[in-house]
Amino acid sequence: MRDESGTAVVLAAGEGRRLEPLTNRRPKPMVPVANRPLLEHVVEAVVAAGIDRIVLVVGYKQERIRNHFGDGDDWDVTIEYVEQSTQLGTGHAVLQAEPVVDGPFVVLNGDRLVDAEAVSAVRDRLSDGDAPLVTVTAVERPRDYGVVRLDGDRVIDIDEKPEGPVDTNRINAGVYGFSPAIFDAIRATNATGELAITATLNDLAERDEVTGLGYDGRWLDVSNLWDVLTVNAALIHDTDHAREAPTTGRRIGDTVSVADDVVLAGNVRVGPNATLSGATAIGSNVTIAANAVVENTVVFPDAVIGPGAVVRDAVVAGNAQIGPNATITGGVSTVVVGDTVHRDVTLGGVVGDNASIGGGATLTDGAVVGDDVRADAGVVVDGRVEPNAVVRRG
Amino acid sequence: MCGIIGYIGELHAADGVGETTDGETPGSVGEIVHRGLKNLEYRGYDSAGVALVGPESGLTLAKRSGEVDALSVPDVPDATLGVGHTRWSTHGPPTDANAHPHTDCVGDVAVVHNGIVENYEALRAELADHEFTSETDTEVIPHLIEEELAAGSGGEEGGEGADLLAAVRRVEGRLEGSYGICAVREGDDRIVVARRGSPLVLGRGEDASFVASDVTAFLEHTRDVTYLEDGDVAALSPDGVEVYADGDAVDRETETVTWEADAAEKGGYEHYMRKEIHEQPTALRQTLAGRLDVDAGDVDLDVSFPPGFLADLEEIRIVACGTSYYAGRYAAQLFEDLAGVRATVEIASEYEFGAGRTPDRTLVVAVTQSGETADTLGAIRRANAAGARTFAVTNTLGSTVTREVDGTAFIRAGPEIGVAATKTFASQVATLAMLGVAIGRDRGALAAADARSVLEDLQGLPGAVQQVLDEEQRVREAAREFQDSEAFFFVGRSLGVPVALEGALKLKEISYDHAEGFAAGELKHGPLALVTPETPVIAVLTDGARADETMNNVTEAQTRGAPALGCVSAGDEYDTLDASFDVPDVGVVEPLVANVYLQLFAYHVANEKGRPIDKPRNLAKSVTVE
Repeated sequence: MRDESGTAVVLAAGEGRRLEPLTNRRPKPMVPVANRPLLEHVVEAVVAAGIDRIVLVVGYKQERIRNHFGDGDDWDVTIEYVEQSTQLGTGHAVLQAEPVVDGPFVVLNGDRLVDAEAVSAVRDRLSDGDAPLVTVTAVERPRDYGVVRLDGDRVIDIDEKPEGPVDTNRINAGVYGFSPAIFDAIRATNATGELAITATLNDLAERDEVTGLGYDGRWLDVSNLWDVLTVNAALIHDTDHAREAPTTGRRIGDTVSVADDVVLAGNVRVGPNATLSGATAIGSNVTIAANAVVENTVVFPDAVIGPGAVVRDAVVAGNAQIGPNATITGGVSTVVVGDTVHRDVTLGGVVGDNASIGGGATLTDGAVVGDDVRADAGVVVDGRVEPNAVVRRG
Repeated sequence: MCGIIGYIGELHAADGVGETTDGETPGSVGEIVHRGLKNLEYRGYDSAGVALVGPESGLTLAKRSGEVDALSVPDVPDATLGVGHTRWSTHGPPTDANAHPHTDCVGDVAVVHNGIVENYEALRAELADHEFTSETDTEVIPHLIEEELAAGSGGEEGGEGADLLAAVRRVEGRLEGSYGICAVREGDDRIVVARRGSPLVLGRGEDASFVASDVTAFLEHTRDVTYLEDGDVAALSPDGVEVYADGDAVDRETETVTWEADAAEKGGYEHYMRKEIHEQPTALRQTLAGRLDVDAGDVDLDVSFPPGFLADLEEIRIVACGTSYYAGRYAAQLFEDLAGVRATVEIASEYEFGAGRTPDRTLVVAVTQSGETADTLGAIRRANAAGARTFAVTNTLGSTVTREVDGTAFIRAGPEIGVAATKTFASQVATLAMLGVAIGRDRGALAAADARSVLEDLQGLPGAVQQVLDEEQRVREAAREFQDSEAFFFVGRSLGVPVALEGALKLKEISYDHAEGFAAGELKHGPLALVTPETPVIAVLTDGARADETMNNVTEAQTRGAPALGCVSAGDEYDTLDASFDVPDVGVVEPLVANVYLQLFAYHVANEKGRPIDKPRNLAKSVTVE
């Protein structure tokens, strides 16, 4: 018999529209921070909590996930997959796991980073027969999340991104403990459009059936593009670098300056006099040419940063090319996502997959260049550039 | 062509003997052997069998035609050793009787065998008073052992004290051809093995030993392995392993396998082939890792040639089979461009050194994924005999070819299980391109700036392949639309020709559809007669493939009503194509990137038709017979 508290269902089917263009070619859980996908950090927390079986709910661009995780042997865990073919909400996603789950189980979001303690705490309470459980954590800006009102350890309700004033900073951390009874409860939930798991939990909370479980460990969420940088920095600053520093195939030129808080994948080439610093992660098969300056930046695999380029506070996605002497100055900026204006965020710029920025071009602060964009030499790129666009001089 | 596994050792669950890396403990020797066969199934799968030996139960045999899953392994609780075999027929059809193991007349000796006994008819004639039950060449071996035992090999006349090891050694001297053999005998607590020409590798566990035709068979139990050499005979006993060469005990080095058995598992994919197609960016990054020095315009392949050899080089001859042959065709064009040396490609089974060539000015390059391809090994042996310098490009450390050539470059693609080669083609071409740059630079035929441009293209390969994979949905739609066509024609020019040939091979291998690859210019010299509205033409229209000229030929086919699909350099457009797929700008490797579309097309056509993609009928992964 399998120990049924040993199953975690991780929701990784979503698209992550707010992280466009990074999510045009990969699901949000596969966005890398500190050179590893968000989902890999989640999987590691689950494994560290002693859980030996993970069910990944996949959908959008699922090949990327299957290809990376395989059957889980690299993490000493059994990974199985269920497909959510249309993304109809988190409740619907959990429902997809019904055929492969037959006891209590932990549920996590594939794009929110928590410590192993959050997982083991839920797992332990599950084996005491407590379910459903919602992990609750305190954050600075609760209104961006699902605000949880509690009465003792009873959940009163979960209010998604409330508009009005809130009297608590406690939010739904996205780690749940359920018994198979949750599946009927989800089906019984009245929903128009998306079937969110929180809607079901609110129904159950009305009958005082939901337990809140406090958690005050690490909780990192990548909601917006600039969060890629902050989460990357947080991870780099508290992980042991030696562990993730395979040196095979690395080719570092003379007089290169690499700060302590830079993580380099194995197969990276760095030209002479390049300077890498400030919570920077450089992915596999990346080339940083001579004299380039890269600071507080996440570079995905296969990208090329040309000679003399300055790239600060930026995200450079897969196979993107930054031309010689191109500049992403970096710093605090104002970024518009959809209809919302975000002020005072640190984001020099984002360059989408396979985009190419010509020599001497400049990205103004907060510029977001879509995937496959061609920006000519010497242009100034401002604001948001849609995928496949060509930015010409003039 | 077949797979062999043998296991000897006691099962103590508490000590973890026989335990796999998953922590599972198989319940019996039979189960370990059966799992080993499962791991080898890609080597051959038209019949399977096992022989188990225990002190009380004696020799127990089970074998049948069909896949390994269809074989039910008997429950023999006291078994301490066993051998198993999965077969791809060469002599005699796949029937229960022709399945291995084969036995002697009384059923005391059982043998599994990989390879071909070329003089089996003569030997069978000598064994006229023996009763044969199969049509295989293998069956002569147990009967020969029976004779040797009866003659008292290693003991007294009449069989008293006759010894299995001595008998196998004597039989080994009478066999001609290639073989890896495992023999077991009732009442004997050893497995005796012999190798000549077919791969055989020993696994050294704590209290257990393994023998197999391929390390993947037992990699879940131990990583410490010993590769046997030709002419070696070894005895695996409860006390360990002893290896003999020419009658003397010898020490063979024990190596540690570093790659993961896990990498050879299917993960979340429905087929190995699709997994391996998607692994190409990672595989290519490994292929290139640490080898490109773009700034200096040079590569570091860790290979060396005698001083002056490359400067005086007259010809590079590539020998290969199947997909590797097409990789060779691609490379030959690159060699001529980059290294300024005549480069030719020969199908390995057709290769002869040939007249008008100077051996010490010829480099013969074998391209073989497994390093065990019999046709390619034969070609290398002929080249060595002629006195040419030989070189191998392979995926497999410790494989036979690496021991027969003067130098090797590994493609580092990781294990490939799908019978249809995919990622190894990409990694082979990338490795050969690096070799071309290395030779060109050494010969002074390639300027640093030109080398740099090729190396930048190579460096861009993983990212470009990823872009193609991101378009899989569109390829799938095209596959659905055209899957019921009567035939498929693949065309290209220059570097597009080997890709067209490879695209056609992939499609016919796994979908069983009629597919042909042509040089586009040849279309009008014959094949155009086959073109109808039911025969789509799929064209390589990229850099390095003379796209505009090729498009003219495609138009000729379109005029006859054929639908046309094209892989087109990003930025170019051919409006008349029924479907067009963008290939990112990576210069001379663009046709190689286009090939990924053709792989996906083949996969999805076959998948729509429900074909057994990883195990196409009549094909085996590593072709170790000539």
